[in-house]
Amino acid sequence: MTGRLTGKSIQSRGTKFTRPLLMVVLVLLLFFSALSAMIWGAVTIGWKNVFAILFDTLPFYQSETATGIAPVYKDILLQIRVPRVLLAAAVGSSLAVSGAVFQGLFRNPMADPYVIGISSGAALGAVFAMLGGFSLAVGGFGAVPLFAFFGGLATILLVYSMARVGRAVPVMTLLLAGIAVSAFLSALVSLLTYFAGEKLHQVIFWLMGGLGGATWLQVRVMLPYAFVGYLAVSIFSRELNAMLLGEETASNLGVDTEKVKKILLAGASLLVAAAVSTSGIIGFIGLVVPHFVRLVAGPDHRFLIPASALLGGSLLIATDMVARVIIAPTELPVGIITALIGAPTFMYLLKKRRKLRYFGGGG
Amino acid sequence: MGLTIDVHGLKVAYESVPVLDGTEFSVDRGDLVALLGANGAGKSTLLRCISRILQPTAGQILLDGQDLKSLKSREAARLMAVVPQETAADFDFTVEDIVMMGRFPYLTRFRKEDLHDREVVRRAMEMTGVTHLAERSIAQLSGGEKQRVVMARALAQQPELLLLDEPTANLDIGYQSMLLELASRLNREEGVTVIAAIHDINLAVHHFNRFILLAGGRVLASGRADEVITAENIRKSYGVPATTFRHPLHGVLQVSVIRGDKTRNAGKIGLRVHVIGGGEEAMPTLELLYQKGCRLSVGPVSAQDSGCRFAHFNSLPVVIVPPFTMMNRENRDEHLRLMREADAIVVPPIPFGEGNLPLFTEVEVALDEGKPLYIIDFAGLPERDYSGGKAVELFRRLLDKGASGVERVDDLIKVIKQGGGEDDD
Repeated sequence: MTGRLTGKSIQSRGTKFTRPLLMVVLVLLLFFSALSAMIWGAVTIGWKNVFAILFDTLPFYQSETATGIAPVYKDILLQIRVPRVLLAAAVGSSLAVSGAVFQGLFRNPMADPYVIGISSGAALGAVFAMLGGFSLAVGGFGAVPLFAFFGGLATILLVYSMARVGRAVPVMTLLLAGIAVSAFLSALVSLLTYFAGEKLHQVIFWLMGGLGGATWLQVRVMLPYAFVGYLAVSIFSRELNAMLLGEETASNLGVDTEKVKKILLAGASLLVAAAVSTSGIIGFIGLVVPHFVRLVAGPDHRFLIPASALLGGSLLIATDMVARVIIAPTELPVGIITALIGAPTFMYLLKKRRKLRYFGGGG
Repeated sequence: MGLTIDVHGLKVAYESVPVLDGTEFSVDRGDLVALLGANGAGKSTLLRCISRILQPTAGQILLDGQDLKSLKSREAARLMAVVPQETAADFDFTVEDIVMMGRFPYLTRFRKEDLHDREVVRRAMEMTGVTHLAERSIAQLSGGEKQRVVMARALAQQPELLLLDEPTANLDIGYQSMLLELASRLNREEGVTVIAAIHDINLAVHHFNRFILLAGGRVLASGRADEVITAENIRKSYGVPATTFRHPLHGVLQVSVIRGDKTRNAGKIGLRVHVIGGGEEAMPTLELLYQKGCRLSVGPVSAQDSGCRFAHFNSLPVVIVPPFTMMNRENRDEHLRLMREADAIVVPPIPFGEGNLPLFTEVEVALDEGKPLYIIDFAGLPERDYSGGKAVELFRRLLDKGASGVERVDDLIKVIKQGGGEDDD
């Protein structure tokens, strides 16, 4: 555990060990969900073989077990499952972290990664690319993820410039502008979908989100964005804590609120745009995961952000695995599974704990 | 410790309506300043300019001679702390987390809270009496506790300037004086300059030693309590007639808004009653008759008498006798005029002596002219007679001439109504 987690000041609830313990649990959870996702699928690969194949890829190491495994298993694991697990981890973490940031920034428990319209912008871009049938490809990428990525970022810029008053960007205006723009873009998406014709299935499937056909290339492109975005928001987690007390108070405490807002918004948007462009719109993870963590460990973003990243990653790996195996060899869109599993669990916790910590004022 | 503040020609406008309009003042190192003024006078706006939430459209604020604009966010937060009127607490931080946030301006990106920070936080919580709440969630605290936590956070910033924006507005009187006492203790012991916007002038005079009165976005008056808090200034800034007086218990300057007398009488008795004399003993009579809606006149009394204050406070006609002098011709004529204009004359149960018996010469004239005269508690008169029996003798004569005795103040209204009814027409 890192030193900051053992500081007494942030031992806000439970015993002194709640946070370090939770961190250990979350790391183990990530490990085991990744392992199971590598074991199960249309074909099962035993865990010993999984380890053997993985270790065999290390330089200067020859696994004796690995030499006896059929090459097709190696290909399934290394070319299909491992990139898919990594991509699920990156997308899940990005959604959970950006959800935490948006909820904190807007001081609103309803906020999720898509709250200010990135998803509608990305969806419009993606649907546009699908219907246009563009064959454009940059660096091995198809048109759909590219259009989705830039559609999402363009939406954020539009919303941001709409909400700006002089130098300042009031968060409430930002939220409202986001809702308005989002509604408009969603209408356009519906319009395009209506005329999608034979491409309807492709469009619907993309909108529901999924990680099918994950490649190493996607992993290599996604990871830097996820990393940069995560770094940007986690460096400013102390500022985000102060922002929870209201912008004026944060400013009185020495936070350069306008600068911090810009950085957090940019970082979180980058995370979401990257996630949406690789996997479509996967709901629920970004909304629910930060709440889970707050319920257990409180609102301190210095813990909330890394913990949400771990939990979000594990959750998407696990649900994606379920989506793959439940009606194998066909796949369900993973968004259906996240909602089916996440919503009842969340309702149970909500009922049990009576109130949402962090937004406890009303309850 | 302690900062000087110079504010020059500050202008702020909301939607082109000026809120601060060339505000100009300075505050010395270690001053304890109450910022007074009506709603919308610009108190909060001024504080928010100093705390850099608002950008003035013109003018300049200097802290220790240094332009506020040249400071970085963290530098500014090390110099000053703000206690707002209310703090949102719809989240689940513990009290200690909140107070620790006061250390934010001292922490760099990669420096964590160390022993020194913890010590500062511990002391801040101790001073504000919230140590026992350290592990509690801020969302579960009462308004008073929350405000003390916010104060502790401000202390953890170790500021040289403390800005309070109506910090007591939502607190009960116990927490009010505790919070302001804390601010003045900081000022006394650590030399922290304090500026507090405050609504309750009478609370402010207890705790502060300098006063700045804002009106229309400008400084109307600045200085000691007796220089700033005058009837004239209150009328100009708050738009209500007021009277100032020294509190009878602690002698501190106090303000009271004068009660309007115009609409009060609608549907009530509306009898015109003159009450003789003043002093504490006359107050229940005056207050009762006033409450019942009588149009009162008072006198003769000396200028420092509570009856006189009552008359001024309620804008009633009053005969004032200069202190330590006998009534002059003018006073006597005025007194007789008020009695003649009244429907009835009332003698409250006040003490009598050589000093006030002479005024009954005119009372007797009025009685002879047929004015109803009511004497309250004649039976208890011997105990209040310091004239060696002259008062008892006088009052007996008045009763013989047709004055009525009334046993208690409360009976008065009934009796006057009957008596007054007979005399009218």
